This record gives sequence, C-alpha cells and structure tokens, in this order.
Amino acid sequence: MAVINSLKEFIQYDFLLFALLGTIFLSITCGLISPLIIARKNAFMGSAISHSTLLGLAIALSLFSAESSLPIFLTTLSITLACTLFLSYSTYRQKLPSDSLIGIFYTATMALGIIIHSLFSKSKSDLLSFLFGNILLLTKEDVVLSFVLMFICIPIIIIPLKKWLFLTYDEEGAITSGIKAPFYHHMFFVILCLLIVTSIKLAGTVLVETMLLVPGFFALKFSKSVKQTFLFSVIFSTSLSIIGIVVSNSFGLPSGATLAFVLFFALVLSLFVKKIYNLIKR
Amino acid sequence: MTDNSILRAENISFSYDGLHPVLKDVSFSINAGESLGVLGPNGGGKSTLMKIIAGLLKLKSGNIFFNNTLSTNFNNYPYHFFSYVPQNSELNTTLPVNVSEYMEFTSSLSQSSKNNLNNDELLNLVGMLEKKQSLISSLSGGERQRVLIARSLINSPQLILLDEPTKGLDSNGQDQLLSIIQEIQNKHKTAIMIVDHNINQIIKNCHKILCLNRSLHWHDHKEMLTKDVLENIYHCEFEHLLIHEKDLSSNQIVHDHQFCEHNHRHQDPHSILRGKK
Repeated sequence: MAVINSLKEFIQYDFLLFALLGTIFLSITCGLISPLIIARKNAFMGSAISHSTLLGLAIALSLFSAESSLPIFLTTLSITLACTLFLSYSTYRQKLPSDSLIGIFYTATMALGIIIHSLFSKSKSDLLSFLFGNILLLTKEDVVLSFVLMFICIPIIIIPLKKWLFLTYDEEGAITSGIKAPFYHHMFFVILCLLIVTSIKLAGTVLVETMLLVPGFFALKFSKSVKQTFLFSVIFSTSLSIIGIVVSNSFGLPSGATLAFVLFFALVLSLFVKKIYNLIKR
Repeated sequence: MTDNSILRAENISFSYDGLHPVLKDVSFSINAGESLGVLGPNGGGKSTLMKIIAGLLKLKSGNIFFNNTLSTNFNNYPYHFFSYVPQNSELNTTLPVNVSEYMEFTSSLSQSSKNNLNNDELLNLVGMLEKKQSLISSLSGGERQRVLIARSLINSPQLILLDEPTKGLDSNGQDQLLSIIQEIQNKHKTAIMIVDHNINQIIKNCHKILCLNRSLHWHDHKEMLTKDVLENIYHCEFEHLLIHEKDLSSNQIVHDHQFCEHNHRHQDPHSILRGKK
C-alpha cells in the first residue's frame, strides 16, 4: 500500500517527478557506460573521480548556497574535470600500475575537500546530502542537466561503438589499425566525470559507483553477446533504479543508499538464481 | 640512400628507464615479400623492437623507413602500411566478442575493400570460418592466434608484424600455425617480421634472421648464421637449447642441415657479432 501511495506522490509532487525523471535519464546513461567501465578495468578510476568531486563540492559550497543548483554544478564539474584530466593523462599507457597514482590522488583531493569544507563552508550539513544522495535536492535544472547528459553520451558511445569495443578488447590491435587511442581514453574519462558530477545529488559521491558498476557486472555475467551486454545493462540499471527511488520515497530512506542497496540486492539475487538454475539443469 | 627495402631500421636504440638499454644500435632491412625472423632469449628486446616498429613505443634513437620514407615524415604514423599481431594473451576477453564481430572491428575502419578478401574468405584462409560465431574467449590459444592473423590480413598490408604467434602452443600447434603463416606469405607475397622461440621453424622458413639480446645483435641472411652466433645470443649451449625447443637428437641430419650447413664459416663468432663492445 505504501508503495502505491508513493507512486501517486511521484505524479502529485514536482520534486518527486524531477527525481524520477532524473533517475531514468541517469540510469540509462550509467547502464550504457557500465559494461565499458568494467571491461576497460576503470572501476577504480570511477571511484577516484567520484571521490574527487568532494573537493569541487567543498569549494562550490564555500562559494554558493546548497540551493544554487547550476553554480554548484558548474563549479564542481570544472574542478572535478581538471582532476579527471590530470589522472587521465598521468595514467595513459604508463609502466607503473595506474591504480597506485589513482589511490594517492583521490585520497589527497578528498582530504583537501574536507579541510576546505571545514574552514569555509556556509552550512556544515550540506555536504552530507551530497555524500549519500538526497532526492529532495533535485531541481528542474538537474533533470534538464541529466537529460542533456544522456543526449550527449548516448551518441558518443553508440556511434563509434566498434571503436570503443576494439580499444577495450585489443588495445594494441586498435592503435595499429589507426584508432586515436589517446583521444578515446581521455574522452571516456570526461564522460565518466560528467556522469558522476550529474549523479551526485541522486546517488551521492560515495555511492554513485554502485550505479556505474552493478549494471555492467550483471550484464557481463549473464549476456552471451555484445548486444545483449549493453541491453541487459541498460534494462537492469533503469528498472532497478526506478524501484530504488520508489522504495526510498515509500520508506523515507536516503536515495543514494537505497539505490545502491536495491542494485546490489538484485545482483546477488540474480547470481543466486543462476546458481540454483545451473544446479537443477545439471 | 634508397634501396628495395619496404622496412629499414637504422641504429635503433631504446631503453625504458634511460639507464639500461634494451636495444643498442640495431639495424636491419626487409625487402618486399621477404621474411625476417627475430630470435633471442626472453628479455632480449624482441617484442620491444616489434612495438617500436609498430609505433606502440616511441622511437628514441635511430630511424625507421617504410618504403624508403622516414616514419617521421608521414603526417601520422603509417599504420596503413603494416599490420601488427600482438600476443594473444594481450586480448581483454571480458566482453563477449565473437570472431565475426572482432573481424568487423578492423574491417569497419578500412577505407576501401578493393582487391581485399572479405572477412569470411580470410577466416576460411586460416581455417576458422566454421567458428565465426564462437566467442573468442571460448577458443583455444592456436585458434585465437589464427583469428588474429586473419584480422591482420584485412587491409592487405605490405608487411605483417607477428609478436610470438606460437606462444603457449604445443609443438604441433606451433608447426600448424607457422605453416599457415608461410602459406599466406607465399600466396600474398606479404613481407613478414616474426618474433618467435621456435628456432628450427624460424631458421627453416625465414629469409633473414635477426638475433638479439640486450648487448649483442646479429643480422643477415640465414646462410651466414652459425651455431656460435646463437650460443652467444642465448648464452647457453646450443644443443641443450635445441633439445629444449624441439627434440631433434634422433635426427642429426636435420640438425646439421639447419645450423651447420655447407656454407658454414668457421669464424670467431665475436667477429660477426655486431654491436658488441
């Protein structure tokens, strides 16, 4: 009953409708990019970008109030983008394992973010909403931003999909076939950065990784072709994110944590069902 | 200087850290339709040399000429000129890509299909047409390597660079794969540069041999190659190495023919090892 009432609320209240639409747009984009993040072994890089948003957020919240959606978004995006490009250039085809630099960098930017927030922030509690996500913070501008992001990302991934796949599957073969690998490498992280910064109000900087990783992991576990992989990932991401946001509103739970748990629970359940199915089939 | 070579390398030196050279003043050339076999111990710089030629590592010292044009004179590195086949262990098989899709990755990039065989014909050439819908992750090492070779032929390159194509294959698989490469070379008159540990087959099939270790290199037509050269390059007894690579102890004639042939020059190996200080 609580869930049905909650569904009605999504139509009645503007902010809930924004949250639902924002969730749909972001989850489609996350679902599309997720298999590539896993296959390209960039999960840790995603984590580094999401944690370095904290530095951008701390600076943004020192300059603007939490309600100023667009200025906060633009400030956070610019700073996170600078951090992302630094990491992207420093880790491209390097001899040292990239995860070491990523690990050092993201803890350092996070630490600096916390210090800046402690010293200059106008409201100490605002950062918590961004850490774990709060759908009450979502505004019409955020929905527009997530739609624009989806509109930009889908063609960037879909049109040269064979190039993305070639680079992921056989990087050296792709480079020697004439694909501009550095361009695609940096482009991938720019998309990831845009996606993470746009998703932080919904899922939070700490929990946004779940939306980026779980759908792809599910798809790669169950699909038998490339087409299936992307299809499964987008369907899983969108459907489970909608369920997550509805559950979050029904029981008054934090949106980021609920989304993360619903996605994780669905993944574990599906793996369990697969295991049982395989046992029966034997 | 101009000649008939389609690939010429002059005085290539390389080091990863700027201190310990992996390659020192290496020079060689390959003419159209010729094959060059690169031999040497692990860590001797064979794959590094291959990656430099393929443009995957930046050339730090020396010159590379493709058809007598310096590689740096092209607007972009001349990837269209050759095809590079990496070791199959370098494929990232996380995504469920099948053979046909993998072939399309390259064929979708090609500008013109004039005079080129289509993907099915190429897979047929390497005996993999029946498995075109199979996932690459489900193929054996030898089958994967055959697919990689089929992909390398898509744009009818003038030169194919093969980096340890027989790595991880059993003796039979190695022989089969090298026969396929030989057949392709004979049929398409493609020049081949191959790095491999199968000494017998490389010496038997390649026109020229380049022997490399970190401090020495030797390059010439295989008739000039002696047992001493190989011993100096590998730092081990040649017969031991032969038995290790392929047991020919029962076939002394083959052994004699391949490594100590009638033109054998009883020279001091140090006089023919270039680059030794």
